[in-house]
Amino acid sequence: METLKLSALPEKDKQQPISHGRFEAYVDNGGTVLAVAGKDYCVIAGDTRMSDGGYGIQTRKYTKIFQLTKKCVLATSGMQADTIALQKRLKSMLESFEKEHGKPMSTPAIAQFLSNTLYYKRFFPYYTFNLVAGVDEQGEGWIWTYDAVGSHERVKYSSQGSGNQLVIPLLDNQVAKFNQQIVEGNKDVSCEQVVSFVKDSITSAGERDIYTGDFADIVVVDKNGVHWEKFELKLD
Amino acid sequence: MFLTRSEYDRGVNTFSPEGRLFQVEYALEAIKLGIGVQCEEGVVLAVEKRLTSPLLEPSSIQKVVEIDYHLICALSGLVADARTIIDHARIETQNHRFNYNEPMGVESCVQSICDLALRFGENRNSGEERMSRPFGVALLIAGIDEKGPSLYYSDPSGTFTQFHAKAIGAGSEGAQTTLQEKYSKTLTIAECQKLALTTLKQVMEEAITTTNVELAVITKADQKFKIYNKEELATVIQTLE
Repeated sequence: METLKLSALPEKDKQQPISHGRFEAYVDNGGTVLAVAGKDYCVIAGDTRMSDGGYGIQTRKYTKIFQLTKKCVLATSGMQADTIALQKRLKSMLESFEKEHGKPMSTPAIAQFLSNTLYYKRFFPYYTFNLVAGVDEQGEGWIWTYDAVGSHERVKYSSQGSGNQLVIPLLDNQVAKFNQQIVEGNKDVSCEQVVSFVKDSITSAGERDIYTGDFADIVVVDKNGVHWEKFELKLD
Repeated sequence: MFLTRSEYDRGVNTFSPEGRLFQVEYALEAIKLGIGVQCEEGVVLAVEKRLTSPLLEPSSIQKVVEIDYHLICALSGLVADARTIIDHARIETQNHRFNYNEPMGVESCVQSICDLALRFGENRNSGEERMSRPFGVALLIAGIDEKGPSLYYSDPSGTFTQFHAKAIGAGSEGAQTTLQEKYSKTLTIAECQKLALTTLKQVMEEAITTTNVELAVITKADQKFKIYNKEELATVIQTLE
């Protein structure tokens, strides 16, 4: 009797292990945010372009600035999904703080709280680069600038995102008056002057940085609250 | 109140037919005397230390304790129970500083104390540390925040109330009447001290000395508490009549 033979499959039909592209947890959606603090106000600007990490644009109307309280906004560049996750988290925590303590969280408290929130994800960070801008309990304007894991500093001006390197020297020179031989007496500039300067800054960033463009949100925070303005940038 | 005592006084999860929890009311009875007075400028806490024996070391009894720089607490009742509460409050206030880089609000702190005070009963979940009975301690919590100085009273039932002036513990009814007569919102901090001590003096059985009372203040100017030492206490006691 003939034994049943199990023949091996021909070499060429042998199934190769399925290979997938490695899972990428992060993508940089680009964009620039900047903020300048005055004596009793803050001006924050952020473009609304969302790139796909390369030459593509996914949307031209994704706003990077998020209002946290009547006295404070958060401007975020980096990955859009992480930005939204962070914004949702902060919003819910701010609401429960207000219920628990009977008052909205102060801007310096938000600054500390954001740092902690970022650090709690030290080993799988939110891919976000943040600016917290607002007025403190005394009504003075301040900016807090962060890295992805929560290192932060309280400053008078800062920028984050893909156009950061273009904007920072401009702010150093025009806001902090670095490397200027003749500095005119009064350093207290008006809010209108700062708004116009901030618009110039983000326009300039849009000229050179392919991830910055389309539109810009210009936000002013002062004792009266948060005021939004749309501003056009180049679409190319 | 205890004439109606019955099987209802054993458990903390059974109301009596009149709607009372006897264990809570027994805990309320365990309280000794303390007085708090608040004004525009600050808050004062004064507590009687009952020295039951001349051999007792007075400094070993501490009845006004720090929760945070801007929050202090006068205890009256079972001091051992109070320690659990104070530990909890200290952790809460430090957590607040860690999370928000600012001092905790007075009411928020009192709220967190009362949340703990309410966590008693027999329905224990595994792993949860819990008291089987209510805390036998009442607290006067004095503090200062952006709303100004304030004084709170919390009792073993977990209820809290804000007061301008409050006497707690044995003989507090008389003391509360005195406070009601003499209190005015325009008092200065020095007058508040005097009012607290004279009221305490009236209800204390022994003469008031630097060893049998404790005095602490929080002023708007300092934004920080101060517990009086013997010398400072002596100068305040001298001013009483």
